[in-house]
Parts: sequence; structure tokens; C-alpha cells
Amino acid sequence: MSSILCLLSVQDGRIKRSSLEAMSHANTLARAEGWSLEAVLLGSKAADLAETAGRHGADRVLVIKDPVFDSHLNAPLLAGLEAVVKAASPRLVVAASTESVKDVLGALAVRCDAAVLPDVASFSVQGERIVCERPVMAAKKLARTESSHPLVFVSVRSGSYEVKEAQGAGTVVDVPFQFDAATLGLTLREIVKSAGDTVDLSEARVVVAAGRGVRDASGKALVDELASITGAAIGASRAVVETGLFPATAQIGQTGKVVSPDLYFAVGISGAVQHTAGMANSRVIVAINKDPDAPIFDLATYGLVGDCFTILPLLNAELKKVMASR
Amino acid sequence: MKFCVCIKQVPDVQASVQTGRMVLNAYDASAVEEALVINEGTDDPVDLVLIGSASATETIRKALAMGASEATHLVAEGEGLDSHAVAALLAAHFEGHAYDVILTGKQSQDTDAGLAGSMLAERLGLPYATNAVGLRAEGDTLVVTRQGDAGQEILALKTPCLVTCSNDMNNPRIPALKGIMAAKRKQIDTRSITPPGPRTRVTTTLEPPGREPGVKLEGEAADMVAELVRRLDAEANVL
Amino acid sequence: MEDKFDCIIVGGGIAGLSAAMTLARADARFLLIERGEFCGAKNVSGGVLWGSDLARLVPDYWEDGEGFERFVAHRRLTFMDPQSAFSVDFKSDHFQETPYTGVTVLRAVFDAWLAGKVQEAIDASAHPEESFIATDILVEEVLMEDGRATGIRAGDEVFHADCVIIAEGVNNLLTRQVGLEKPYVAGDHVAVGVKEVMQLDAKRLEDRFQLRGRSGLTNEFVGACSEGVEGGGFLYTNRDSISIGLVLGMNELRDSGKTPYDILNTFKAHPAVADMIRDAETVEYSAHVVSTGDIKGMPSEIYADGVMIAGEAAHLLLNAGKAIQGMDYAMRSGILAAETVVEAKKANDFSKAMLSNYRKALESSYVLQDMRSFQDAVHLLHRKEMFSTVPDLVCDFGRQFFTIDSQPTQKASAMMRAAVKRHASYWDLVKLGLKAARSL
Ligand SMILES: Cc1cc2nc3c(=O)[nH]c(=O)nc-3n(C[C@H](O)[C@H](O)[C@H](O)COP(=O)(O)OP(=O)(O)OC[C@H]3O[C@@H](n4cnc5c(N)ncnc54)[C@H](O)[C@@H]3O)c2cc1C
Ligand SMILES: Cc1cc2nc3c(=O)[nH]c(=O)nc-3n(C[C@H](O)[C@H](O)[C@H](O)COP(=O)(O)OP(=O)(O)OC[C@H]3O[C@@H](n4cnc5c(N)ncnc54)[C@H](O)[C@@H]3O)c2cc1C
Ligand SMILES: Nc1ncnc2c1ncn2[C@@H]1O[C@H](COP(=O)(O)O)[C@@H](O)[C@H]1O
Repeated sequence: MSSILCLLSVQDGRIKRSSLEAMSHANTLARAEGWSLEAVLLGSKAADLAETAGRHGADRVLVIKDPVFDSHLNAPLLAGLEAVVKAASPRLVVAASTESVKDVLGALAVRCDAAVLPDVASFSVQGERIVCERPVMAAKKLARTESSHPLVFVSVRSGSYEVKEAQGAGTVVDVPFQFDAATLGLTLREIVKSAGDTVDLSEARVVVAAGRGVRDASGKALVDELASITGAAIGASRAVVETGLFPATAQIGQTGKVVSPDLYFAVGISGAVQHTAGMANSRVIVAINKDPDAPIFDLATYGLVGDCFTILPLLNAELKKVMASR
Repeated sequence: MKFCVCIKQVPDVQASVQTGRMVLNAYDASAVEEALVINEGTDDPVDLVLIGSASATETIRKALAMGASEATHLVAEGEGLDSHAVAALLAAHFEGHAYDVILTGKQSQDTDAGLAGSMLAERLGLPYATNAVGLRAEGDTLVVTRQGDAGQEILALKTPCLVTCSNDMNNPRIPALKGIMAAKRKQIDTRSITPPGPRTRVTTTLEPPGREPGVKLEGEAADMVAELVRRLDAEANVL
Repeated sequence: MEDKFDCIIVGGGIAGLSAAMTLARADARFLLIERGEFCGAKNVSGGVLWGSDLARLVPDYWEDGEGFERFVAHRRLTFMDPQSAFSVDFKSDHFQETPYTGVTVLRAVFDAWLAGKVQEAIDASAHPEESFIATDILVEEVLMEDGRATGIRAGDEVFHADCVIIAEGVNNLLTRQVGLEKPYVAGDHVAVGVKEVMQLDAKRLEDRFQLRGRSGLTNEFVGACSEGVEGGGFLYTNRDSISIGLVLGMNELRDSGKTPYDILNTFKAHPAVADMIRDAETVEYSAHVVSTGDIKGMPSEIYADGVMIAGEAAHLLLNAGKAIQGMDYAMRSGILAAETVVEAKKANDFSKAMLSNYRKALESSYVLQDMRSFQDAVHLLHRKEMFSTVPDLVCDFGRQFFTIDSQPTQKASAMMRAAVKRHASYWDLVKLGLKAARSL
């Protein structure tokens, strides 16, 4: 029997929502094709999360309980994934398009002799072919792309599918693995976490994103306040990441992250294609910009033409009232 | 350090009207810039390699004008080069050339694939890092700051190695007149190649789903805010 | 040697590229500098390149068909009041013959294409490695020594040449810097051009405008298109888009308190126009200053020791109602300036006296001849009547003439009299008519 293998990314002890989104869709496909669905978890606490994987459709959960995976490093991750893919010999490997996955996807494909459909917005199985749609040209176009290679890897943009629970057996299978540190051509010296990320951007239901119009610390304070009132994660355009006002982890767009929350506030963001490539699929977009011709208004569900330094204090006060009455 | 940067010619994605104009992939421009900065004041080369149609020489000249040393142009006409094919061709090229560091862009601006770099590293058996936002040479070690999911990771790579570069690493220089003139006089090592078959194929290109037209509020800030909150609550149901 | 060229051309627009092509063909060593990221990046233009000089620069340019959008095969002049449009329409198969007498262009495509052709000419010349097209570089200064131009400065780089051709377009800062242009140009010598490019699938466009192959339509408008502000409108068909825009008098526009963008939106909403652009999506909006084409607006002189001014930098343009001619003038003047350089090089004399040949050549060409003979037409066109009374009257007449409403019908001459009565004094109109007859 063929199978679909889902790589699950773990952050702060939880399986990332984007991984569960991708697995939910993989589950639908697997059931339709009569294939089995298998999940992969790597890390010292991998087995603890097997139950969650089972609850989202995994028939088998392949785990490697090795602390080498606890912080991201591509060489051991590659070796681990290679071992798992070889053990499972699936038709299709599915992962969420996170930075850690992007880091190894190409190399893993070479190692496993696979074809890759990276960063897709949707995918399906059509007979011998794996077919996907992926944004190209800074998301101005969608390219329908396919592969008939015997083994195909697909990475999925966050927000492309809903998370759906589905009962799988969730049988835990330990995959034998030993990593030889001597083969490591690189060492991790340090991890610099950026301060202030309370909510993971790509998982957030509400995102408040700031652009050059937010200008300085006083503007940032207004944005922070709006985020805390609405329980939002904070995003940013490249312009304000470059100036250091916001951390690079907050960058949304072609170079940064892809988000598709229910509610997206674009504050003082012009709406360059490289930015909108990362947020155009948000359900409701609110744009605040003093330039009535800013391209962001073409995407906005609600556009407010005006100075964010005037609008945000009023908006924050108003929203506080509404939220308090809940 | 001896650098070689893999550069690609891509359509100008920023243009509002598709004019057919081709440019140097912005991520590759950042890679060239970074290599030039690291090698400043040394005699170490920053070489280039590009796979693409004959008309891509214009893009090679642009990168040479920034100050790169020598370039190889592997001429492959036609469509259908996916990252897999590119990595295979580049790997063959590097069999015959020794470098301390190979740089690529973190992704192609037109396809956003982001695969060729790590595929090439794997084929060459080199340690690598992706999505670099900073590079520094320390003896024969390359110190890379990479942007990860939750923060930045600082890695030390033994050379030879490969790094894929983000445009967040620097702002590439605009070539000066002298550079443009010098670039024109440089020989480009041009060779015809036959690419291997791609593993993925684009069948059609579609328009992305459109958004419902929204409403634009103008006027007094207080009125706009009241109207927005009302609509977010009653109409959009997102509060 | 490296730093000394026969000629440095400032500006990679049409004038500059035409000069460059001419120099490349004559094996001269030159440097062309364009501040845009590529030739055409910064250029706005309504889009018809008139005349046949293009075939001189790039023989058989229609064969590869890459540079231009469509050739002009169908022309229309429309008078409009707020509800109606009355057109004079001309279509003829004689337009099918090459060389075409007009082609629509999108500058970002056309200029880049022409620059590619110039590069090919350089590669085929005697000094393929000694002439350059350099983009993304702003020339900040034309260097002067003892009253003669000797080169240019861009940032901290300096380059010398026997002469400089300034082809910088209508915002002619360098022309002013070398002392040929008045410190500032009066508002009545410049207008504001606004333009949108609206995308429409080629098949629909061809069906809608009855086009065949690469044939295209040009439509000029007078009257309600400019909401009473002095000016006119245009609509041109490209391969898979429409260029639509207005040219508006600077002073009038300022006095009206309206923005060009608002007026353009009113124009686009006019029933006759809305039907032509239906479902087309705006992909580009741009605004640019354009000369009014008044010969009095020309710089005090267009040459000096070691320097010549070509194209719209010299305010060479004609807008006499039936067409805007700026690009063809830029092309011809660029060619003539370069030919002057070639002669000067032979004589090794780049003095003012020698370069006066440029002026002479331009005077005997159609460029300055037409600018002189249509001088009055340009003035006439700027009269208030031309963009209010006349179009209103024409449309009023049209409404009567073409309406068949089961009432006794008047003779056309009576209709005309009635229309005139409603819109103008008969006497004023006769005066205007006489003026028009003399000036056109
Ligand atoms: C290869 C490449 C990749 C890129 N990747 C990304 C990416 O991932 N993410 C990204 O964001 N960008 C990216 N960019 C950069 C992108 O092109 C834009 O430069 C960037 O998004 C602009 O950010 P901005 O909208 O904040 O700034 P600007 O474009 O400068 O816009 C600022 C806006 O704020 C408005 N404003 C100013 N003051 C106020 C005020 N007081 N109140 C209200 N509004 C105000 C202005 O009207 C303006 O519209 C990339 C570029 C390249 C070349
Ligand atoms: C809305 C509109 C519609 C028009 N429609 C038509 C039409 O239908 N037909 C027609 O024939 N004409 C038309 N024109 C006029 C026509 O566009 C101009 O007359 C023509 O472009 C002039 O060509 P040029 O080469 O002299 O200048 P430009 O085309 O303006 O080129 C000047 C070039 O010089 C560069 N430059 C300027 N300064 C520097 C510097 N310091 N350093 C380096 N580079 C520099 C600029 O970037 C530019 O590329 C229209 C104009 C407008 C605004
Ligand atoms: N045709 C090519 N020639 C040279 N390098 C290329 C080519 N295509 C891709 N690359 C390199 O691979 C990077 C992007 O990989 P990808 O996104 O997989 O296409 C680019 O930034 C280049 O450095």
C-alpha cells in the first residue's frame, strides 16, 4: 500500500498549526486514495506528541527520540529524515513550509532521489501525477505545477488548509538512528531569539503589521497596544525590519513569512508586491494609510485613509471598549 | 576567500506591466554584494556562474559591473529548467572549479522555489546554511547568521561550504560608470550545455483568486474608527 | 584614452538613443548615460511615434515586431460634450504599407528594445568595446571649461568628451545649467500629461476596436474630456492594452483646483469612453510634464561650444490637435545632432560655429518648419472656445442631425444655425473659423 508521510514541525513543545493543516489535507487525500497516513516526529520529546498526530489522522507515527533534533541543525535533520523516508518508502512526503523545512528540503530530495513541489497553496493526487498550485511572480500568478516522479515532496504554505481532527491509530514506531557528529561540517554557536514574540506569526488568527508609516518607538507603542487588545501577533514590512524597529522574525512577505489570519491590520504599509505576497490571503484586511492611492487599498476589505498616529489611539480606545463588553 | 556566486536572470516581478524585462535575481545581487565586501582589499576572486539563455549576458555584465572577477555563462535555451536541473548542471560546473565558498540566492524571485542551493550543496557534499542574513570570514571558517523560524542562528561552517543568501543581508551596490565599462571588456566564458530533464513541470499559469472589492473610508478619524469597529463586529464578525 | 569619448549623450530616451544609434553606425566612440534602471524605465508617453524615421534607425523594424505595439491604421478625432461624442473617423488600407507612418509604443518596452538595437550596432561597429550604454546613473553636471562643455560628472566620477548631447527630456536641468535655457520655464510653455495603461486581452481588444493583426486605432478627443480645462484626451491601442490619457494646460489646471487624476476619471466615465475601456484593468498610472509645443518655449539656443540640446529638452514638440508629436521630433533631432558630431569629428572642430550646423539642419527639416507653420494653430488650440464652445456645438448639431423622433425634421443648415445660436455668437465663430482656416 502507498502512503503519505507528513513531517511535523515542533516549536515550544507543540506541533505547529501549519503542520497540522498540511496533515489534515494529506489525510483527506490518503483516505480518498486508500493509502495510509504516517507522521514523523523528531526530538527528545517526540513520543509525547504522537497522540496529537494520531488525533489528526496518522496511522503510524515514526519517531526518533534524539536530542540532536531539539535545536534546528540541518545536517542531523537531513540524516534523520533520510532514515525515516527510507523506512517508510512513501509515495508523497508532505510538510509545512517553515524555515526549518526549507533549510533541508532540497538536499533531502537529492539524497532520496525525489522531486519537490515547494511552497504550494494546494495539492492533489491525480493518478500517477502529483499536482499543485503555487504562487509565482511575487504571488501575482499561480502556476499549476506537477510531477510524475515516483517520490514527491510537497511543502505547504501556512493557512492553505483547515485543521481537521480525524482518528488514526497513531501507532508509535521507533526508527533506528545514530548520528555521527564527526561528519558535521558546521556547528551552531548561538541562537538569538528575538524578544517580544508572544504569539507565533504564522499561526495567529489576528495580525497587526507595521510599515514605514509607523516611523518610531511611539508608533510602535500604538501598534503593540492594538496587538495586545486584539490578541494579535505583530508583523512588519521589510522597511521597518531594516531600520531595526521590528525584529526580522516579524517580516511578512516574499523574503519573510506567509500569514493568512482572519484579521490583518496593515498600518502604514504601502502594499508592495513583495509584502502582499505574504499576506494577500488574509480573510479580512484593514489598511490604515494616509495615501489614498496606496496599493494596499486594492486588497483591503476596510481601508482607512488617514494618519495612523491619529487613528490608532482612537481605534485602540474603541476596541478596548468593545472587547471589555465581551 | 575564493567565492563563486550562482546568479540567475529573472523577469522583473516588481513591474506593474509585464514588459518582458529581465533582471538579476535580487537575492543573488545580495550574495554578490556580500562576497565583494568580504573580499574587499584582497586579491581573492568573486566569480560568477549563470545558466540561462544567450541574452542573459546582460545580467552577467550587471554583476560584473558591481565588481565581480570572472564569469561563466552556461547557455541553455528554452524553458523547463527546474531547481533540480539547475543544481545538477551547477554541480557539474563545480567539479572542475575549486572555491572556498559557493553562494546562491535563497530563492528565485520569479518561482520562489528556494531549492537549488541546498540541492547543489548535497550534490557536492558540502556543509551549507540557508537564508543567511549575515556572513563573516574567520580564518578558514565562515560565520553565518541565518534567519530561522523563531530567531537567528549563528553557525560556523568549515570551508569549502555553500550558503544561500537573503536580501535582508545588505543593499547591493549600484554599479558605477567605471565598473560598467570594465565589465564590458571582461571575457565571459560561454559554453553551450544540454540540461537534464526536469522533475517538475508547470502546466498552466493562472490568475490568483481575486478579492471581493472592499470599502474605503475617508473623513474624520473618529467617524472612520467608529464605522470600522461596527463593520468588524457586525459585518466581518472578526472581533 | 579610456576617459575621453567623441561624445557623451545624457539621457537614454528617444532623442538620446537615436543619437547613439547614429553615432554607433558612424563608428564613433560614445557614452550614453541614462538615470533610469534601464532605458524606458522612467519614461511616460501617450504612445504614438509618428513618421518614418524609425525605419531609418532600425530598417525593417516591423519584421521582428518586438519594439512597437501596433501600427496606426485607423484614426479618429472626437468632439465631446458631457453625454455625446461626434467623431471624424478615417480608416484606410494605405496605412498597411511599410514603412508605417505611425506606431503605438509603450516606452518601457520600446526604449529598452531600441537600446538593445543600439547595443547591437555598437557590437558591429569598429570599436565595440569603446562605446557604452550605462544605466542607473544620474548625470549631475555638465563640465565646462572656458565656456565650452568638456564632459560630465556623475557622483564622484568624471568623464570627458569632445562634445555632449543633452537629451534629458522636458525637465531640462542640465540645459539650464549650461546656460541655454531660462532659469525657469513659464507655465504656459508646459502642460501636464496624465496617462493610464489599461490591460485588456488581445482578442477582446481586437474585436472591440475592429483590429486586424497588428493594426491599431488612435483617437484624440476635444471637449468635455477635460472638464473645461484647456487640453485634450487620447486613447491608443497597444498589443494587449489601451493607453488613455489627457494633456492639460498647467495654468488652467492650477486655476481649476482639480487634480489631473480626477479629470482623467471623469474622462474615463464618459459614455463614449467607458464603452471602449470596459473590463480593462488599470495596470499603470503616470503623470509627466510635457511642453505645449510653442516655439517661443524653446531654449534661447540649442547649441553652444561642445554641446547640443536634442528632443524635448529643447522643447521640440508639436501638439496641433490632431496628434502629439514629441517622440518623432526627439528622434529626428537626436539623429541630426549626432550627424553634426560626426562632421565635427572629421573636421576636429567642436566649436559653436561648427555645431551651428545642427540648428541649420533642424531648421530645414520638417521639425522646425512645422513648429513654425503651426504656431498659430497651437495658439488657437489654447483658446477657450476650442475645448468648450466648439465641441458643445458640434455635439448639439450631431444630436439633432442623428435623432429621428417622428417629428418634422429640419434641414441640416437650419440645425447648424440653431446650434450655433445656442452656444456662441455667430460672429465670434466666423472669426474663429477664419483663424482656423489660416492656421491649419
Ligand atoms: C527581493 C525582494 C524581497 C522583498 N521582500 C519583502 C518582504 O518579505 N516583506 C516586505 O514587507 N517587503 C519586502 N520587500 C520590500 C518591498 O519591496 C517594499 O520596499 C516594502 O514592503 C516597503 O515597506 P513599507 O510599505 O513599510 O514602506 P513604504 O513603501 O515606504 O510605505 C510606507 C507607507 O506608509 C504610509 N504612511 C506614511 N506615514 C504614515 C502615517 N503617519 N500614517 C499612515 N500611513 C503613513 C505611506 O503613505 C506609505 O504608503 C522586498 C523587496 C525585494 C526587492
Ligand atoms: C502623457 C503624454 C503623452 C504623450 N504622447 C505622445 C504621443 O502620443 N506621441 C509623441 O510623439 N509624443 C508624445 N508625448 C511627448 C513625448 O513623450 C516626448 O516629447 C518625448 O518622450 C521626448 O523624448 P526625449 O528623448 O527628448 O525625452 P525623454 O523621453 O523624456 O527622455 C529623456 C531621458 O533622459 C533621462 N535623463 C534626464 N535627466 C538625466 C540625467 N541628468 N542623467 C541621466 N539621464 C537623464 C531620463 O530618465 C529619460 O530617459 C507625450 C508626453 C506625455 C507626457
Ligand atoms: N539558472 C541559474 N543559473 C545560476 N544559478 C541559478 C539558476 N537558477 C537558480 N540559481 C541559483 O539558485 C538560487 C535559487 O534557487 P531556486 O529558488 O531553487 O531557483 C538562485 O538564487 C541562484 O543563486
